[in-house]
Amino acid sequence: MTTPVLETRNLTRRFGGLTAVDNLSLTLPGGKLHAIIGPNGAGKTTLFNLVSGLLRPNAGQVLFRGRDITGLPAHEISRLGIKRTLQVKSVFAQLTVAENLWITFEGSNRFLHPFRDAASDPAARERVSRTLEQIGLTALARRQAGTLSYGDVALLEIGMALISDPQLLLLDEPTCGMSPAETERAVAKIREMARTIDIIIIEHDMPVVFGIADAITVMAQGAILASGNAKEISEDERVREAYLGRPEDEDYVEEAVNA
Amino acid sequence: MSAATAINRVMMAAFAAFLVSVPWSVPALINSFWVSVIAEILIWSLFAASVNLLFGYVGLLSFGQALYFGFGMYGVAIGISDLGLSFWPAFGLGIVASMAMALVTGIFAVRLTWHYFAIITVVFSLIFYFLALSNKWLTGGDDGINFTLPPTFTFGGTKWALTDPTFQYFFILTTVALCFWLMHRLIGSPLGKAFLAIRDNDVRASLIGLNVYLLRLIAFVLAGFLAGVAGALFAFFGRYASATYMFYQVSGEGVVWAIVGGAGTLFGPIIGTTLFIVIREVVSTHWEHHSLIVGLMAILVVILAPKGLVGLWRAALEHFDQDRASKPVSQTLRVEP
Repeated sequence: MTTPVLETRNLTRRFGGLTAVDNLSLTLPGGKLHAIIGPNGAGKTTLFNLVSGLLRPNAGQVLFRGRDITGLPAHEISRLGIKRTLQVKSVFAQLTVAENLWITFEGSNRFLHPFRDAASDPAARERVSRTLEQIGLTALARRQAGTLSYGDVALLEIGMALISDPQLLLLDEPTCGMSPAETERAVAKIREMARTIDIIIIEHDMPVVFGIADAITVMAQGAILASGNAKEISEDERVREAYLGRPEDEDYVEEAVNA
Repeated sequence: MSAATAINRVMMAAFAAFLVSVPWSVPALINSFWVSVIAEILIWSLFAASVNLLFGYVGLLSFGQALYFGFGMYGVAIGISDLGLSFWPAFGLGIVASMAMALVTGIFAVRLTWHYFAIITVVFSLIFYFLALSNKWLTGGDDGINFTLPPTFTFGGTKWALTDPTFQYFFILTTVALCFWLMHRLIGSPLGKAFLAIRDNDVRASLIGLNVYLLRLIAFVLAGFLAGVAGALFAFFGRYASATYMFYQVSGEGVVWAIVGGAGTLFGPIIGTTLFIVIREVVSTHWEHHSLIVGLMAILVVILAPKGLVGLWRAALEHFDQDRASKPVSQTLRVEP
């Protein structure tokens, strides 16, 4: 049996009285596009924060390819090859598109030269222009990232994920706020990346999740509610109750009718 | 090359030519007193550049840079008067002392950001200000330490010392220009780009593998270097060191100069420092409340020109370029001028 790409053991994170991630044990085998879904407040983003090192767990372990990475600082986890995007699109607003890609490429270097010209590294320059072509932003290379449209920022985020050569990519609601056309473009890119990279995606857009995910984990109140493929999940009664909230909605409808 | 770039280059050349001609042109046009005012402006520009490196390029607002300026001054003064060092070792001692102090305080300070960072830098500078005041045996307290200048270079029988005003001016100009050139290289380098990334978005920076804490500490020590060189030069310039230059009001002036001139631009601190020192020199002889003008100008600039005077100038040039309907220039990776 091969080692799973990501494993959590009894992972727990509390914020005051709230347990955001509750004794969560999760095993994600490699080679699949994995989706995590769940209602708001289920602890999905907290789980990403624990894996990527932005938060430390109160208890439990995170293992990446069998290696314990619990409590490592974010930059070291990033250097191991776990890269992620943030729920709120976040790039370096005052740097240009090309510079955003460039610094992401160089970010994992331990030594950053203090006095050499940044533009002088031919390998980095070549890689930046190749990535610009891949995401179709070559024409906007000199634009400040803060002036880009929302969809272009999302593409730039994907470009930054690509150029960082991830081994495991965590995408936090990558299509959130996108137009249908932009979503389609992003989904195609994600599918293409998933052929070579292990990807875990948090997503609210159900058609997107059911369309691209090989395996789905449903979280509710910090714990796993169900896991399986798209068909199993969509037919699971508990998932319907917790996530889709069908009965409550029907209550509202009945109330409205009876009123 | 666009018209804006051309205009900037011509102005830079004129500015450099003026600086080199100061010891002859200024006495002829005004009087020789202004030569030393300009030397002082150069030194304080370097101090403002230290604030600017932290605030404009890394996003850390320090209200305590006077501490490292003061350590540069005392390193020189104590080195010469107590340890009997000659010129260069004393200069070196001043710079090393301020960088070491920046490292020690930075280890604690750069764990924090924003107002917490600003507060802790003030606290550190106040602690050492009062320590310097009370330890009279070492620092001379309020009176400070006066010392006699050793020669800068000695070749056989000939000596060059800062007692020659022209030599002193060029020594200061060369040192300050060298520091600004180093900062220019730094801003365009991989390390400089990493600083900018942290300024823009520190969480994202850590997620792409940048060690945010270490990089902020490096920036803090480099800013300590700039402030230390400025302090050491100022000690040579005034032939003394005093605790009054470690007070937080001095730090605050550096912040105002950098922000009004344009934080995040190489020349902003020079513009801001020049403006305010000229105002001080011209107005203070007629009117004792000249700091009112300083305050008013600072408020106006912060409200009306968030990127300072250099930002206004750039916007004007851009406008000019667009009016000429010239195509956007192709550039390599952006390097701050």
